[in-house]
Amino acid sequence: MAETEKVHKYLNPVGTQEPVDTSPLAPRLDTLDGKEIYLSICGEPDITIPLEKKLKMDYPNVIWKTKKTYNIAPIRISEEEMKTADALILGVCW
Amino acid sequence: MPYLAELEKAGIPTVLIDLVEETEKVRHDAVIYGIPELRLVEASRTLIGPEDVDNIIEDVIGGLLRPLTDKEEKSGKWAPEQPRIIFEGTHDEAKVFFDQSENIAGILDAPFAVYTDGLPINVPTEDRVKEMLTGTSHKPDEVITLQRDVEMRGMGALGGGMTRKKGEVVKYMPMGRTATVEQVAVNAVMAGCKPEYFPMVLAIAESGGGTGDGRGGGGGFVVSGPFYKEIGMNVSYGRFSPGNPPNKTIGRVGSLLWRNLGGYKETVSTIMTYGSPSMNGGFLYAEYAEGLPEGWLGLNEELGFKKDESIIMPAGSSQGGGQFWMPGVYRALQKSGHGAISRWLDVKGIPGPHNFLDYLCDGMWTTREGGVTLAMVPSIAKNLFDLGFKSKDEVYEYIYKKSFEPVKQYRMRGGPDFFTNGWMGIEKTSGKHWKELEDDYMVPVCPEPRANCIIIVHGEETVLDRFQGGHGTAWSIDTWR
Repeated sequence: MAETEKVHKYLNPVGTQEPVDTSPLAPRLDTLDGKEIYLSICGEPDITIPLEKKLKMDYPNVIWKTKKTYNIAPIRISEEEMKTADALILGVCW
Repeated sequence: MPYLAELEKAGIPTVLIDLVEETEKVRHDAVIYGIPELRLVEASRTLIGPEDVDNIIEDVIGGLLRPLTDKEEKSGKWAPEQPRIIFEGTHDEAKVFFDQSENIAGILDAPFAVYTDGLPINVPTEDRVKEMLTGTSHKPDEVITLQRDVEMRGMGALGGGMTRKKGEVVKYMPMGRTATVEQVAVNAVMAGCKPEYFPMVLAIAESGGGTGDGRGGGGGFVVSGPFYKEIGMNVSYGRFSPGNPPNKTIGRVGSLLWRNLGGYKETVSTIMTYGSPSMNGGFLYAEYAEGLPEGWLGLNEELGFKKDESIIMPAGSSQGGGQFWMPGVYRALQKSGHGAISRWLDVKGIPGPHNFLDYLCDGMWTTREGGVTLAMVPSIAKNLFDLGFKSKDEVYEYIYKKSFEPVKQYRMRGGPDFFTNGWMGIEKTSGKHWKELEDDYMVPVCPEPRANCIIIVHGEETVLDRFQGGHGTAWSIDTWR
């Protein structure tokens, strides 16, 4: 058999992807009133500054808390803060 | 994304605001981190902020309140198929298989290679991969891990300072995949490498394979130590030109590792800005330590290794600044005190050596921040040595000190808005908040002396190649022999 007709096996160049267990989303809130909601801001102040203002104006019964950085990695809420946090809005980097 | 996944799994509902064209990437990341149904709202890149907020605010709030759908309440498993043998057939058939591409909507339906960097490859038969594996003593099924504790050094103004431990499994971004020695060998075969190059390819793989945080571009690398000579890298004339197999093929490996180990797929798994023209195809060069002036350290020694140990260091390929000169202009300066540099230094008619660093640094930071890497031929290094620079560090310090400018001017630059965290951080030479500094306070535009770097290269043409600066993390080649 000519070399060009020989059948070979070729190895996979793709790296190993560990299987991922996918989770359901957390249950949603039944109301916003009295809830402690974090606004986690990273980047794009043109959007996040007016967003923060409007959220506080339109939803005054929410306890708004803010974590703010100009960088792309969000500032995390602490374990202590997680105990009382009811929800989180993150924008615009993730 | 791991942060949002952590919160959702802890029972805290979240909504992500992204920018329109990032959604496919966000969806992709959401799968990898186990929350495929993550709720997101798309903001605009062009609308004025308040108008944009008016458009999205109902969806943002709705994302927190709207009850979950059946699909959002489901758990499951994502486990893509990963056969070791990916194709069987003749070489011609394999070539067609490995050359396949797919059209991607996010890049206007342009084709994007499924397994390659877009160029034809050497098809990876079992035999060829087996031969590649003769280039290392490491076993084919060994997972790529850190071979020593590693202090991550930031390049220039960006980050660093973290220590990673020996044995840590290397994750290739953007997909967070892992790799075995054999999988790296497959990519080395595809790039056209020879088995004797393989220890360097494995060192590149240990460094993250040029994948970075998923936007690594395939990486750029500089080599230091005797390994360059063993494999015949060109460190001399035309070192950035075609023709030298190790420079070209090892330089290419990073692009393949990024595509295949990292899973880079433009706008799908990663969103680059526009890529780098100087990294597309590989950016690799080596130090010619034989040309170091007495007492100057090679890059390997600067980074804590011995003179006879070989390393790679990730290296930026963007052009550094400073005054340009033709090689003859430099020769005229040092031989007889003629030409443009002599006029600038006011040494006309006086033979050298003259300190050209002031000329080099004139205007260096006018349009850019950071340090500079100088690929320097031995005669230029010798001139500096004769002028009293008894180490590279003295040169770095000299350049650093030239970079100071008033805060008022520094505030007008494009980079520091980001590097200073919106001017909310501390300025390190004063220890004060940026906003407390007087306008005339002098700050360095080059962040530290070692944000500069000198790599000695062979040649007699007295120009300086200038690249993005800095001393990054070193990765041993020898450990992968």
